[in-house]
Amino acid sequence: MAVTVGEYDNTFETPGKRAPLVVGDHDFASVTEAVCNVNERPMREMPLIWYVLFGIAVALTGVLFGSIGYLFLTGVGVWGVKNPAGWGFAIINFVFWVGIGHAGTLISAILFLFRQTWRTAINRFAEAMTIFAVICALIFPGIHVGRVWVVYWMLPLPNQMAMWPQFRSPLLWDVFAVNTYFTVSLLFWYVGLIPDLATLRDRASGFRKWAYGLFALGWTGAARHWHRYERAYLILAALSTPLVLSVHSVVSFDFAVSQVPGWHTTIFPPYFVAGAIFSGFAMVLTLAIPTRALFNMKDIITLRHIENMNKIILLTGTLVGYAYAMEFFIAWYGQNPNEKFIFIARAFGPYAWAYWTMISCNVIFPQLFWFKAIRTNIAITFVISLLVNVGMWFERYVIVITSLSQDFLPSSWDYYWPTTLDWLTFIGSFGLFFTLFLLFIRFLPMIAIAEIKGVMPQARAGHDQADGGH
Amino acid sequence: MKAPDISADRLHIRDLAPGLSNLLWLGGLVALVAGLLLATASGTETFLRAYLTGFMFTLSLALGALFFVLLQHATRAGWSVVVRRIAEYFTCGFGILAVLSLPIIIAMVLQPDILGIRAAIHDIFPWTSELIVWGDNTAAHPGDEILQGKSGFLSTPFFVLRMVAYFGIWLWLSHFFLSRSLQQDQSGDPQLSLQMQTRSYPGMILFALSLSFVAIDLLMSLDPHWFSTIFGVYYFGGSALGFFSLLAVTMFWLQSNGRMSQAITVEHYHDVGKLAFAFIVFWAYIAFSQYMLIWYGNLPEETAWLTVRQSPTWAPVSLLLLFGHFVIPFLALISRVPKRGRYGLVAAALWILVMHLCDMIWLVFPHVNHGGDHAIASFGVLDVIQIVLCTLGILGLYLGRVVRASAQGSLLPERDPRLPESLAFHNF
Repeated sequence: MAVTVGEYDNTFETPGKRAPLVVGDHDFASVTEAVCNVNERPMREMPLIWYVLFGIAVALTGVLFGSIGYLFLTGVGVWGVKNPAGWGFAIINFVFWVGIGHAGTLISAILFLFRQTWRTAINRFAEAMTIFAVICALIFPGIHVGRVWVVYWMLPLPNQMAMWPQFRSPLLWDVFAVNTYFTVSLLFWYVGLIPDLATLRDRASGFRKWAYGLFALGWTGAARHWHRYERAYLILAALSTPLVLSVHSVVSFDFAVSQVPGWHTTIFPPYFVAGAIFSGFAMVLTLAIPTRALFNMKDIITLRHIENMNKIILLTGTLVGYAYAMEFFIAWYGQNPNEKFIFIARAFGPYAWAYWTMISCNVIFPQLFWFKAIRTNIAITFVISLLVNVGMWFERYVIVITSLSQDFLPSSWDYYWPTTLDWLTFIGSFGLFFTLFLLFIRFLPMIAIAEIKGVMPQARAGHDQADGGH
Repeated sequence: MKAPDISADRLHIRDLAPGLSNLLWLGGLVALVAGLLLATASGTETFLRAYLTGFMFTLSLALGALFFVLLQHATRAGWSVVVRRIAEYFTCGFGILAVLSLPIIIAMVLQPDILGIRAAIHDIFPWTSELIVWGDNTAAHPGDEILQGKSGFLSTPFFVLRMVAYFGIWLWLSHFFLSRSLQQDQSGDPQLSLQMQTRSYPGMILFALSLSFVAIDLLMSLDPHWFSTIFGVYYFGGSALGFFSLLAVTMFWLQSNGRMSQAITVEHYHDVGKLAFAFIVFWAYIAFSQYMLIWYGNLPEETAWLTVRQSPTWAPVSLLLLFGHFVIPFLALISRVPKRGRYGLVAAALWILVMHLCDMIWLVFPHVNHGGDHAIASFGVLDVIQIVLCTLGILGLYLGRVVRASAQGSLLPERDPRLPESLAFHNF
């Protein structure tokens, strides 16, 4: 029944037969063992590289909070934002991190509704990554407001001054959209974790048993529990699905509702969503490829999973390419001189280096995934996933900076230079992201153990082959 | 969960096809001739606009069918094999649609100065008029700088070339997928599935580009000053939704006539209903994105298009789309009960098809009178009758071709390797 890596390449599928999603001689017990092992081994048995990375990540987190502290004590003037580019790194980083945070919910919600069972191997840590990315994202608009001590004014809290947020501002919509997304993603992630937390509880003793047990909510694995769990999961998936589209649509409104050339275009909402999924999957790959090697998960996160994610990157990268092309075409077709100017300036003006970085990383390199040999090559996939991350950051850079630094008044044009503190804050946010992620893989099951068992052949023992496929 | 026994199923409509397709062709021709006769009362421009409405409506259904076929192969879908052949037959109509596009193309290119066709086509597609674009150095016709700037794209020779390219793509794709699929009925060769899968990816790219640009060419360029980058996606959303509705209706019609009685199960209705529901929301999302961003930006060059649609003549139709195209079907299909109860789904599907036609009317008809007075052109009973006649005419001819094509083989991809999976699949 089981197959072994090397003998069987599960990236090929004969029509009519579904390729196995777990390879190697795994049964239910060995899957539990393989996943829980990372959480249960003594700290000294964690690989050295985990300690090294964790050390770096914590140090960078210190840099992040140090930079923020300096910012609070001094003021937003320490950044490179000034006239005419009043938005700079903070907004770029915000959009970048929110984008990263899109893969998790897409995998858990939309792929679940589409019955894409391969998602089970990657959904848990993609969701975790989503939550950490949204945390990083939320920092940036929070610290960008200038008077950070009144940041709670963004929330519609009743107060004696009868002050209300400006409901017509898309920045306020962001507050609602991103917070809703964060809340629902966290809930979804947590609900999915409950059966696995109970597994860890049942295998643990002492404090760990108590701690996992606290969050396992008394899960016993009774049929009634499973029934409610699955209903809850389905309902949360249905609620999360529109959120996958809404969050980045609202983020795109920050730009598109304005009249700034290069920002005001109707395709922005779906284009931003496609770009977000694109970058999110790239980040999942960036994290999954080393993790599966380090903790020996290659039988569970198989080559097939990597290839499938590469296909999604190819699809969304092509959609992003469509949007770039359509924007360019309509900028000409619309015959608005300002719009034409900004698009030509992007490609051939002072920021052409950023524009062509974006085009090559987002449109050209992902097209290599048309070739199966490249889709199934781990090293190249890893490199392309990094390039996509770079490209998507530069996409936001191009959008924010080119349109602002060459505004309607040529006398005010100025080149945008980020300051050292801009860079430190940005790099520091990676520290926070990786700190949280490294803690997550140490203390929580990085694979959805219960779900992965459902897609193994043993789960359908005694059923027809024709019954499979979902 | 055993697969249903389909050995007793009737899997073809060879007995119904000749009579039905003749009836559809005859009905279609009668409707078109009646529309032509009515043109003497309603005017040439109304007829041409109604014809364009019916054409874009029918074309969207065929494009939606092509999208469905491409999508099923691209995703190696299992559930949909049972209904995929129906979609493949619906892609057979591109030939007749190419013929039916000729009146529009001829009117645009030759601009014959009879029956007021020239004046009408200049009102409908102002960029086809030399006088409007380039002027004649008089105060009455100063020319239009914006249209001059676009003349590299909005020119009749290039337009004809593009139309040829679109139909070439569609005819080639639809022929490829239907013929390989029918071939598999004979051979049962799994290699054909792989071949279709491989071809579906570049097919999807060609499809996306051709659909976007046909929408720009035949709908967006009606107001040649106006532009919206999302417009192609908007037409796509309506096309996919229109086809899912048509698919649900067709499945129901086939089963009512004793075809595929066991093969199509309630699970297939449920999944088609889910796709329709998803695209109701998708369409609304795209429509909202377009509307909200233009409204908020408030640039006259963009809002002019919406201002016409918010004038007293057209505001009711705009509201009808908001409620009829989104709110009502959204509420109607959100529960699993109507999606699994065939009558509920089919009623919703028919409603959506009517709303999709209203969407096409909303795209084609509202315009400012070109008499210089900037009055919004009126819309009355005569226009509605003209639209109904033209739409029935074009749809009838298209469906006649589809029915005739479907007589050549089975209604089911009988030896598709994933058929057992599709027959046995269950929502849970």
